[in-house]
Amino acid sequence: MLKFDSVYKRFPDGTEALRNISLHVPKGQFCVLLGPSGAGKSTLLRMLNGLSSPTEGSVHLAGEQITERSVQRLRKRVATVHQQFNLTPRMSVALNVLSGALPQVAHWRAAIGLFPPELRQKACRLLDEVGLTPEHVNRRVSELSGGQQQRVGIARAFMMDPAVLLADEPVASLDPRISRGILELLHRQSRNHDTTVLCSLHQPELAREFGDRIIAVNQGRLVFDGTPEQLTDQVCEDLYHGALAHKHDAPEVDEAACEPELELAAA
Amino acid sequence: MKPRANPNWNWLRPEMNMMKNLSVNRDAKWHLNQPYNARHLMFAIAALLILAVTGSRMEVPRMMQETAQGVGYVVGLNEESSVATGVMRIAESIWPLRISEEIEVSRIENFDRNDLPWLSHVEVIESRTPHLNTETLQLEETIESKEVLVKPVGYLAHVLLKMLETLEMALWGTILAVLLSIPLACFAAANYAPNRFIYNLARSTISLFRAIPELVSALFLVLAFGFGPIAGFLALGIHSAGFLGKFYAEDIENADRGPQEALQSIGAGQIKTLWYGVLPQVLPQYIAYTLYILDRNIRMATVIGIVGAGGIGLELKGRFDMFNFDHVGTILVIIFLTVIILDQFSARLRSRLM
Repeated sequence: MLKFDSVYKRFPDGTEALRNISLHVPKGQFCVLLGPSGAGKSTLLRMLNGLSSPTEGSVHLAGEQITERSVQRLRKRVATVHQQFNLTPRMSVALNVLSGALPQVAHWRAAIGLFPPELRQKACRLLDEVGLTPEHVNRRVSELSGGQQQRVGIARAFMMDPAVLLADEPVASLDPRISRGILELLHRQSRNHDTTVLCSLHQPELAREFGDRIIAVNQGRLVFDGTPEQLTDQVCEDLYHGALAHKHDAPEVDEAACEPELELAAA
Repeated sequence: MKPRANPNWNWLRPEMNMMKNLSVNRDAKWHLNQPYNARHLMFAIAALLILAVTGSRMEVPRMMQETAQGVGYVVGLNEESSVATGVMRIAESIWPLRISEEIEVSRIENFDRNDLPWLSHVEVIESRTPHLNTETLQLEETIESKEVLVKPVGYLAHVLLKMLETLEMALWGTILAVLLSIPLACFAAANYAPNRFIYNLARSTISLFRAIPELVSALFLVLAFGFGPIAGFLALGIHSAGFLGKFYAEDIENADRGPQEALQSIGAGQIKTLWYGVLPQVLPQYIAYTLYILDRNIRMATVIGIVGAGGIGLELKGRFDMFNFDHVGTILVIIFLTVIILDQFSARLRSRLM
């Protein structure tokens, strides 16, 4: 479903965010991406929704290469759940969820906020599935708690029936109990809708619990690819504190500067 | 912070050893600069020169002298003052304000004596004009009587109507400004401009609009559209579109990127992203800016009529040129009251929205 073919990404300031990434994710897999802050996880995910493009190599989605020409069509099949939720503040929960279906709504309908009835029904169904109640529908998203906002984000992501769901540290700003709830929801939703998921996380124990497959990235390189059973404590230790870090041949660069997001370190 | 005194470790810390020897060196030349130096003096002299030259060209000394005389006259120290007499003359001609209107019956077409307008009545006014009788060489008076229709609050009603027209001009000026500035702002926001050329074009259009004062563009628009409110609200709209365009564009650029990226990444084009990712974020600011512009346009609309662009300013100019200062006084009071009331109103509205 997803294919990275020796992808490199260099930023204009000379930072190498991704080096020689080759990866294949089959349909329906829940794939977890691990790695310290600034390892290139976000860049990897942004290649798939077209917010970033590779300097070298190619990225394929459902057998089709993502290029400047095809990106607008292909990204309609990709949904993203963001770390900071990226909901529009001051807009109602209902409109935020409906805005997930904007690409398939006529301009005039979008302009006056008249979404077709089938989309409205779908939004209600999805809000129900993510565990929100009808009272939430007309509230502004900024009035909801973080966990509830992420639930709205997930409902929005499923509005377009995505083939691929990207989750960029979806639980990094949530507490452990709510994080588990959100991941359970992501897992269940992707099973029900048969969606391929690529989810970056900072908690190895959550990765083991929910992932079908675990990939680790560090310093822009793929350093681990295996099943949850293969992700031993030793691997985690190496990933965050040494052996897998490839520090010896990497120039010392501050990659966190390219990824200005608040990231909570794994416990 | 007090360094921990541990003699066993001091060999590791060279700075601790140095601290021992540290005492005030009385030979060292300490010198604290005065806060002012020659450059400051130069600046002061230059500033004084500029003030002196421009002040004499602006006749500041005469202004001060005559103001002092006027104040002296009011307090009773001076016998006479040109400023004070000028002010008194204006005050006398303005006061009492005139809110009534008199029209000669003979000038009214189809005048029906039995069907007078509301609250009005007919009066006969006698005017005496002295003239020299050429035969008797005596001054004689001819008494001319004319019938006038007196409307007791006619002029007030007229001014209020003109004020309403002024408010409407301001309203339409603002509507025009909003309509013009929304597309301009989208093109002048660096992250939504389709290309560099259109971006620069939009930016310079906005600057140009802002650079043309209303009174100047109204002068030309009056030539194009004739006397009346069209020229007025067009001039207001163009000038304030310059302001709104700049404000709107800056808000679009500074809006939170998160929601916009979320919508971009699912492929909802630029227009929909603007509508759903940016507009809800910036709407409260937009409303506040627009209210401010409306407020400003009302104040500008009262004077823009002076160049013939409709509204109460046109009436003011007309009465002023006919030396009807009592009518001018009425107009000024109405303008004053309107601006105060609207100021209060818009301040309250804005504080509620923010």
